[in-house]
Amino acid sequence: MNRADGETDRRRRFGSLCESLRPDLLRFAWWLGRDRGLAEDVVQEALLRAWKSFDSLADEGKAKAWLLTIVRREFARSFEKKRLELSDVDALVAAESAVLAAPEDERLAQMREAIFRLDEEYREPLVLQVLMGYSTQEIADMMGMQQGAVLTRLFRARARLRQQLGLAAEPES
Amino acid sequence: MTTCLEFRRHVGAEPFAGGAGIEAHRRECAACARHQDELRAMDAVIRRALDVRLAPRGDAAPLPARAQRTRFLAIAASLVAGVAAALVVLVAAPRAAIAREVVAHVQHEPGATGSGAPLSAAAVEAVLRPAGMRLGTGAGAVSFAARCVFDGRVVPHLVVRTPEGPVTVLVLSHRTVSRPVRFDEQGYAGVVLPAPRGSIAVVGQGVPDLDAIARQVFEAVDFGA
Repeated sequence: MNRADGETDRRRRFGSLCESLRPDLLRFAWWLGRDRGLAEDVVQEALLRAWKSFDSLADEGKAKAWLLTIVRREFARSFEKKRLELSDVDALVAAESAVLAAPEDERLAQMREAIFRLDEEYREPLVLQVLMGYSTQEIADMMGMQQGAVLTRLFRARARLRQQLGLAAEPES
Repeated sequence: MTTCLEFRRHVGAEPFAGGAGIEAHRRECAACARHQDELRAMDAVIRRALDVRLAPRGDAAPLPARAQRTRFLAIAASLVAGVAAALVVLVAAPRAAIAREVVAHVQHEPGATGSGAPLSAAAVEAVLRPAGMRLGTGAGAVSFAARCVFDGRVVPHLVVRTPEGPVTVLVLSHRTVSRPVRFDEQGYAGVVLPAPRGSIAVVGQGVPDLDAIARQVFEAVDFGA
């Protein structure tokens, strides 16, 4: 394969990954930042960074985890700039009400809002586990934490959701 | 021996956790088993709640603030009755439908009789990978693997050979059930198991212990591939 063909193939493979994974990346970024505009900016920037270091991705089967990690880092950068703007959860709920809405299922909308109101430290591992399907060890690797800490956060995330939804809370110890 | 507290801490973090200690405690403690079932049901709702649809910026108009307040106040009223009540909505209506759909699909899938030669691991992986899954060695040889249209979605369809005969496995990432749904329709016995993402249907004809086989298949599936 000559150099031009190699570049074309690289672009095609990257484009294909972006097309298939972008919805998940956007969803993940939205749940991290709870702001659609921020999510789109973060994903756009993350994909640019991913393109620049695409050659470092040895196994394209692991592209999703690789891209999610880049989104996490990019979000951390962007969030620092917007921290003050995102401090009012009620305002965020109102601003993102269109995404939170589930007109066909009131119960779903309630759960969505309860998750939306969780602290980021609980929301993020929950999204990675339940929506993205990662194991607690994989989540620990992505978040740079011990697996035990991830398990604790996941336990507390569900306990807080139960609390928010008026269900009996579980004893932690 | 797993205590109730250990069990609840474990399943509180991983509602689909299995293993000898968890299973043994489930058998001994009905309250804890019920608690895990509730958490699994709640996870099905969480999964659907997280799966938001993000339209391009500027497309959607925000809801009135009053609707937001009313909606949130309804949380307690809606779910305080317990996840069991939610299960009725989640499971009862689709229960019969899912059984019929699974059987109809199995009946009309040409070439899925399980009589072919075992497929290579790569061929099976090619079918499961787009669904983010992998099949371990514990399930048995796979003699059919295809991506089929089911309920308007493309889903992995496998036929696994077991000592009791071939069983069909449909990976239904888009359909949730909160507890195992067993059915017996038109000569097919089946069970739909809750999975970390959606559910898995296992169907066979004249298979004596389908539950055990379904569990074996379920445990062989890696949902985090």
